[in-house]
Amino acid sequence: MTSSVDAAGTAIQTAGLTKRFGKRAAIDSVDLQVPRGSAFGFLGPNGAGKTTMIRMLLGLTQASSGSMSVLGHPVPSERAAALARVGAIVEEPRFHPQLTGRENLRVVAAVRGPETHERIGPALQRVGLSDRADEKVKKYSLGMRQRLGVARCLLADPLLLILDEPTNGLDPGGIQEFREMVHAMVEQEGRTVFISSHLLDEVEKICDHAAIVDRGKIITQGAIAELAEGSTQHELIVGADDLDRALLVLDGCPQAKQARRSEGNLQVVLSVGDDSSAPECAAAINSALVAAGLAVFRLEPVRQSLEQRFLEVTSRLSDTPAEEVTA
Amino acid sequence: MNATIAAQMTGADILKLRKKRGILIWSLVLALGPILIYFIAAVIEHASNPGKYGPAGGTQNFSDGLRVVALFFGPLAALLIGVEGGTGDASAGVFRDLVVTGRSRLALFGSRVPAALAVNFVMMIGAYVLLLIGTFAFAANLPTPSVSLILNGLGFTLLATGMLCVVAVGLASLTTSKPAAIIALIAWQIVASPLLASINGLGKVREGLMSQATAHFSPVHVGEGGHGASVTLSGGTAFIVLLAWVVVFLALGAWRTRTMDA
Repeated sequence: MTSSVDAAGTAIQTAGLTKRFGKRAAIDSVDLQVPRGSAFGFLGPNGAGKTTMIRMLLGLTQASSGSMSVLGHPVPSERAAALARVGAIVEEPRFHPQLTGRENLRVVAAVRGPETHERIGPALQRVGLSDRADEKVKKYSLGMRQRLGVARCLLADPLLLILDEPTNGLDPGGIQEFREMVHAMVEQEGRTVFISSHLLDEVEKICDHAAIVDRGKIITQGAIAELAEGSTQHELIVGADDLDRALLVLDGCPQAKQARRSEGNLQVVLSVGDDSSAPECAAAINSALVAAGLAVFRLEPVRQSLEQRFLEVTSRLSDTPAEEVTA
Repeated sequence: MNATIAAQMTGADILKLRKKRGILIWSLVLALGPILIYFIAAVIEHASNPGKYGPAGGTQNFSDGLRVVALFFGPLAALLIGVEGGTGDASAGVFRDLVVTGRSRLALFGSRVPAALAVNFVMMIGAYVLLLIGTFAFAANLPTPSVSLILNGLGFTLLATGMLCVVAVGLASLTTSKPAAIIALIAWQIVASPLLASINGLGKVREGLMSQATAHFSPVHVGEGGHGASVTLSGGTAFIVLLAWVVVFLALGAWRTRTMDA
């Protein structure tokens, strides 16, 4: 699935982007489109190439081939113009430990330009570090350093934020605050936020668009809802008075591909050819159970999550024994 | 990049160095400590046996102290500062955060040099002031250095330590490793360079040594062999040798900063 977004409407666009380390392709001919004004999740398992992709976009390492543009500027030929309004955290945020939080921001502000100094105070306030800004960073927790990293991004008054695994080290309260901050940046301020993560749940909660990357290739990309709906697997939760007998009945039912116990119910994978035949399958399963004398009190389709889609399309499914997937 | 940004970037690099307490303290110890010890020892000697040991101050002691500051311990302090200036961003892991601002990597490298020099010069001026205080305070009836000698001595101190500081920035930026750069520079400064300078068989090849070119500009006699002047250079040759050292190491550091994966 690929969004049809024109070049003017993209914050990031790549075409055939490839990065090789020797013979191994860390990023393999990637065509990526990140719509402006979106919270975009760059989702993939560890080692999929997410950080390498970010490093290329930011000019930290050179691409082996292909082209890319950031905020409409080709990179690396117009790198300075492209990055002038980009804030980024690559891997974990790092700082000079001997300096205070405020001094660390002063260092970056000096590099960005004189007008940036005025943004230090508001940026610290935005991430809730005003009270601790004059303490040395070596005394900061990881969560505080993450927040200071976001403050450093805000110094650019960014049109685009690129955040690599941004919720690492945050406690649940911090994660919630982070989600709210990203939502405000996207929805109220019109910024684009590009988040790389291996945490499906996080991406689903924070982002409206995503790309799934695996082994250096983009498997699919688009709006989150479309990606989840794109799942080829349809499941049904079945509640019945005798689950053991129900399992026996479903074992002989051609519409039930697989069934297992789940939280006092049965979770049934339907044997469907396409989306439209799912209701008929569910009806057939219900009929079979009722015909066997079972009392059916629940028939509920399982909402397809990004996680299911992710497991379907990434190599993790094929790398994992079948019983673990269905357990 | 305009002058304002360049000045702000240099100011930021000075801030980083200034707040690096460990390096600062060791540099202060190396720059000021030996002079302090020199005068304390000379004062005690003079007090214990005035007939054998003259006053601790005066022109002769100024010359000896100048050698201590400019040729022996000052350069060690300078190389610590230079190495920190060259590797500070990389070792703290913030180099990539500076690169993603879009600012040219050469500009990032360029601001390290004046910052390291500024911190080094402040420290060396401090050591030099201490030397002058001792020279005049303990001179008794001995002649004291002229204004011209004082100014030349200051210039020489800044030149000798500044050269090593700049080379250290370049080498540290090239290696991106603080321990490697410090070990290499100390080994060169304390062992290799004096050893090469004392091998007469090397003849004019020794003109290419930074220590020999630096010694040419000394306003006081620095002795022969080792850290002293083993070969006689013309002013022009000495200048070219020093320039070559600076250009080569800055070019290497700049090249590495521009091409390395951040």
